[in-house]
Order: sequence, then C-alpha cells, then structure tokens
Amino acid sequence: MRAGRDERAWIRGAQAGSASDLEALFRSHWPSAWRAAFLVVHDAAAAEDIAQEAFLAAIRNLDRFDRRRPFGPWLHRIVVNRAIDWARARALRAELELVDAAAPASSPDVGSDVVDALRRLSPEHRAAIVLRHLLGYTPGEIARLLDLPRGTVNSRLRRGLDQLQEELT
Amino acid sequence: MKLDVPLPEGAEERAWKVVGAAFEERVPSPRERKVWRPVVVLAAVAVVAGAVASPPGQAVLDSIREAVGIERAQPALFSLPAPGRLLVESADGVWVVQADGSKRRLGGWREASWSPFGRFVVVARANELAALEPDGDVRWSLARPRVRFPRWAGDRIDTRIAYVSGRSLRVVAGDGTGDRLLRRNAASVAPAWLPGEGFRLAYTDRAGRTVVVDADTGRVLPPAAPPATAGTIQKRGASSEVVVDGRVVFRGTGEFRDVARSPDGRWLLVTWPTADQWVFVRTAGQRKIEAVSGITRQFGGGSFPRIAGWCCA
Repeated sequence: MRAGRDERAWIRGAQAGSASDLEALFRSHWPSAWRAAFLVVHDAAAAEDIAQEAFLAAIRNLDRFDRRRPFGPWLHRIVVNRAIDWARARALRAELELVDAAAPASSPDVGSDVVDALRRLSPEHRAAIVLRHLLGYTPGEIARLLDLPRGTVNSRLRRGLDQLQEELT
Repeated sequence: MKLDVPLPEGAEERAWKVVGAAFEERVPSPRERKVWRPVVVLAAVAVVAGAVASPPGQAVLDSIREAVGIERAQPALFSLPAPGRLLVESADGVWVVQADGSKRRLGGWREASWSPFGRFVVVARANELAALEPDGDVRWSLARPRVRFPRWAGDRIDTRIAYVSGRSLRVVAGDGTGDRLLRRNAASVAPAWLPGEGFRLAYTDRAGRTVVVDADTGRVLPPAAPPATAGTIQKRGASSEVVVDGRVVFRGTGEFRDVARSPDGRWLLVTWPTADQWVFVRTAGQRKIEAVSGITRQFGGGSFPRIAGWCCA
C-alpha cells in the first residue's frame, strides 16, 4: 500500500518536472525491468538496452500516464514485447549466420539451472514464465499485457513449465 | 521457482545517466498551456479566417501546408490518442501498433485484416493465407496462389474469411477449415462484408460490376448499400479533404490515402503520404488535431504504409 502511494507521488512529481522523483521511480523499477528483459533475451547488454529504451519510452509518454494505474505493468509490457522482438530477430539471424550465432552472448554468470534451462525455451514461452514467476502477474494480467487470449497464456505457461521440467531432469 | 539473476555492475548507473539526461531534455507540458491555449487558438482562427477570405491568402496557406504538413507534428508515434490497436501494412511487412505506441512487426506479410473482435489477424502474402495471434504466432496457414485482400467477418462463435486468389473469390472459416471457391470471375479488388444477418459478401467481377453473394451458399443476392466507411476522401484540385456525414473534417495539400476511425468513435486517423504524416483528428467534442511525421521511416522505410484497421480497445 505504502509502495503504491510512493509510486503515485513519484509519478506526479516526475510529471511536474522533478528529476529526483523520476530517479526514485527509475531505481524502484530498473531491477525488475532488466531481469525481465534478460530472462527473455539471455544477453546482458541487450537487456540493458531494452530496459533503458523502455524507460525512455515511458518518459516520452509520461504526460499522458494515468497516475491511478500502476506503473509496473505499463513498463513491463514495453520491456517484454521488445525483448520478444529482439529474441526473435536473433533467432532469425541465427538461421542466416550460423557462425555468428555460435558465439556466446554477453551474460553474467548466473549459475542457475533454472535460468539455463529457460534459455532453451522459445521467447514466447520464456516471456510468459518470466511474467508469471519473476514478476508475479496472474495469467489474466499476462493475457492483457501481451494482448493474447487467456487460453494461449495458460497453454504457454503449461508447455513452458513442462519443457523446463524435462530440461532439469 | 527461483528466477533470480544478479544485476550487472554499473548497468543501472549507465542507464540512469541516459534516462535522466533524456528527462532533462524533454519538452515539458507546462500548466500555463491551459491559460494561453485558447488565446492562441482564437488568434489562429482569426488569422486563418482572414487569410482564406481571399484567393491569394488561400494560396499562401496551401503553400505553407505543402511545405510542412502539420507543422507541430510529433517526430515519432509515441502513443495513439485513443484506446485500441492499429494494424499497418508496410513494404517491410505487417505491424501492430499498441495504444502506448509500441510496435510489433508480425512478419513479412503483405496484407492484413483484424478478426471481428481483434483477437486474431488474417494475413496474406504471395502464395499463403494465415491467421496469426496479435504477437505474430501462426494459428493456421493455407497455401493458395496469388492471395490478396483477406477480409474477416462474423460474430464470437462463427466467422468467415473472404479473399481473392488469382481470379477466384474464396471463403474459409475462421479456424482455417472448409476453404472453398465461391466465384471464378473476381477482379483484383478487395471484397467487402455487408452488415446484417448471415454472411453477405460484395465483390467486383472482371466486368467491373459489384455483385453481392451469400458466402455460404454462393447464391447471388439483390444489390445492397455498401458498408459504412469511417470517412470519404475527396480530391479538390491540388488538395484533399476528408468528409464525414457531409462535413469536411480535415483538408490538406496533396494526397490522403486511408481514413480509419478509433474504436471509441471519437478520433479519425487520416494518412497523408504527401506530408509523410499521420493526422489524428478528434471529431467528437472539441476538435483537436495531433500529427506524427516520418511515418515511412518508422515502418521500415520503402513506401508509405497503409492502415488495415484500428481495432478493439
């Protein structure tokens, strides 16, 4: 509840031109934005670009933002959609440029079997799982964020988790 | 499930430098706007009224418009002025634009149309018709020669897609089943579904006649009024104008291409290749214009894109 009030105050302040309020908003949401992007694209530099671009898009639209609504879903929608686009473009490049695709992408040493297994899922399945299990959105909220039928979200979550389980066993 | 990843060192600070700098450089929307805007508008109305009163004045206005399109256009499509999503056909493929301005390219398709409630998109390219989810996932696809003009209609439980394949008019159910030939003599013109009961389809035959058929039986039906459009584009010498219900709602120099109405019915999108702009005109309540420039570049370059629909908030 407190966090929600803080966020509304930061947005109000940023809309009025306060850089410190914008910075508070940025620092509150940067970690989740970067992690969501990274877990879809599995490339640290690309995740940084995607999260940064999402914040820039948010600034451009700040004057229109409805303060009664939470900022997170708005930002995460931009982040995840851009991350999916990036991952798809990389997959296409991988088909065309096999040598380049074999080179490892820049990535922190996360040392997690789950994160490694996630890498082997399609970007769409990764996105659904990241939104559900990293960011805590419900399937209905994910359907609205990604403009998908709820049944599609449920099936992506189910198939993604099944595939993760296979990768981990 | 534990989905945690350590944040890379320095990334947050690097990003904040860029984001903070962009924030400092942005043009704020000052509160004073509410005060001076009516004054400016009144002054502008007075100037325009005076200028158009004489033919030389009209010529000057036209030359200004020709030079700049809408002068205070946004340099990029930051957001749509109304809820809903735009479906766009460009030389680079088909795109979906969300209300927040984010764009997604669905792939190298040539033409597209929304499903009746915006849950899916039907797309076509040289020898393929396909139904996609709005994120580009293919639900089904059908190989047919020289596919053009896919158009989707129906209700929540029963839909049809009409399309032209070569010289044939064909129909397929929304789930990709039951594809069949409807007529053999179709011209290369988009068919149009007619409102009302059943699946009535108007198409143009190769003799240039408009024919109405029942899409399920193939039976020719009596002529019917064409479906309502968002607005009519009329050429007036070197200018174009958009007419809605007999009223000119927007006029500019050169060519307009498409007119689409927002799902809430309050805005019109007029596409203006001459100025490489999209112009959003609010037609409900107080009139307002918002323009976006550099449209061709924003959709992959090549040629000016077309609007295939503005759908479903």
